[in-house]
Amino acid sequence: MLDATTLNPAQERGATVELSMQAALNLALAETLDEDPKALIFGEDVGRLGGVFRVTDGLQERFGATRVFDTPLAESGILGMSVGLAMAGFHPIPEVQFDGFAYPAVNQIICQIGRMNYRSRGTLPMPITLRVPSFGGIRAPEHHGESLEAMFAHVPGLKVVSPSDPQQAYHLLKYAAQRPDPVIFMEPKSRYWQKAQVNLHDGGTPEGARVARPGRHLTLIAWGAMVSRCLQVAELAEEDGIDVEVLDLRWLKPIDAEGLAASVAKTRRAVVVHEGPRTSGLGAEVAALVTEECFNTLKAPVERVTGFDVPYPSGDLEDEYLPGIDRILFGIQRVLEHRRG
Amino acid sequence: MAELSFPLPDLGEGLIEATILEWLVAEGDQVERNQPLVEVETTKSAVELPSPQTGTVVRVHGGAGDVIKVGDPLIVFGVPDDTAGIVGTVPQEQAPKRRVRLNAVLDDD
Repeated sequence: MLDATTLNPAQERGATVELSMQAALNLALAETLDEDPKALIFGEDVGRLGGVFRVTDGLQERFGATRVFDTPLAESGILGMSVGLAMAGFHPIPEVQFDGFAYPAVNQIICQIGRMNYRSRGTLPMPITLRVPSFGGIRAPEHHGESLEAMFAHVPGLKVVSPSDPQQAYHLLKYAAQRPDPVIFMEPKSRYWQKAQVNLHDGGTPEGARVARPGRHLTLIAWGAMVSRCLQVAELAEEDGIDVEVLDLRWLKPIDAEGLAASVAKTRRAVVVHEGPRTSGLGAEVAALVTEECFNTLKAPVERVTGFDVPYPSGDLEDEYLPGIDRILFGIQRVLEHRRG
Repeated sequence: MAELSFPLPDLGEGLIEATILEWLVAEGDQVERNQPLVEVETTKSAVELPSPQTGTVVRVHGGAGDVIKVGDPLIVFGVPDDTAGIVGTVPQEQAPKRRVRLNAVLDDD
């Protein structure tokens, strides 16, 4: 486990430190527990084991079993308990071990957590940060690779965010944990192990979308694990003379419509990429926002490159299901070829 | 390298302890999941315990004849830090491969 005492003076002063996303999230949680005496972490195996992805490693040892604790295997209980704890003034940071395990708690998340502030006329806010290891890419069995962002983004009262790299993970989790509103924090599990430089003291603005790579000819819009794939695609497109901008959406509810519009107004072409199924996926919302904001400047309809309308497949078929480099390049080609009239 | 401790499980219904008969692995050994680790005897029977996971044996607790209580540490495994969770595999970073080439005339103003 990394904590402030293991950082050297240069890192303390703001130099960057190399961290995996796991370690960046672990550090953000440790600092949140340290700074916020009302913060609690709980879920399946988050305590003694330290989480199946090691994100809560060492936290129970350091902060004790009353602040970091294991729960029974009952997601409805984990989220139901979060409601009660939030009512009592705590700041719960529960974990649902895998995205596919969130379904048993949908009633608590939608009917209670999403609505309590509204129902109580603002007297019972729900400052809950629900961490959900999300999306595919690790060849896991069924129920371990879902894309729930469209479902949660559809629920009034919830905020939804997904980091794309260790820097985003560290700063967005700390920010989410300080919100007075419930935040669904979707961690891209296929990116947990990749290391990158993190500036612990300067995360830029935690609100809205961010330009992950500037470009002139077309905007690729993505979030979570698809951001790094889109950055690879942008490098390949450059070989062909196409200058691609990659917009890391980050917040999936609310979506940064202004940031979207600013990027696409410049490039005049947009392709949105996501892992979840195509129909009623968040790509449809993105396409609608882009069309509303940029209809007159768009050179082509917004293209969607997505998962298919099937249950998430077993590991052997994952590469066929997830938007791959060639499928994204095909999407870009279709947009480039489009001619009005 | 992370260390994972495996405590003695309840080997029957309501057993409280077991006696170690023989360790089948030694500290430093690389073990595979389901490989027999140790032979123990309870008040009901003598059984071989299979390894719950793949890893390196860092420590074993107790020797032949020692009594271990259910829930007390039995063996400690060392596992690489980037080992995946209980399911799935760590994705390998690969150089991107492409078959599609972009071919477009840009008529930007």
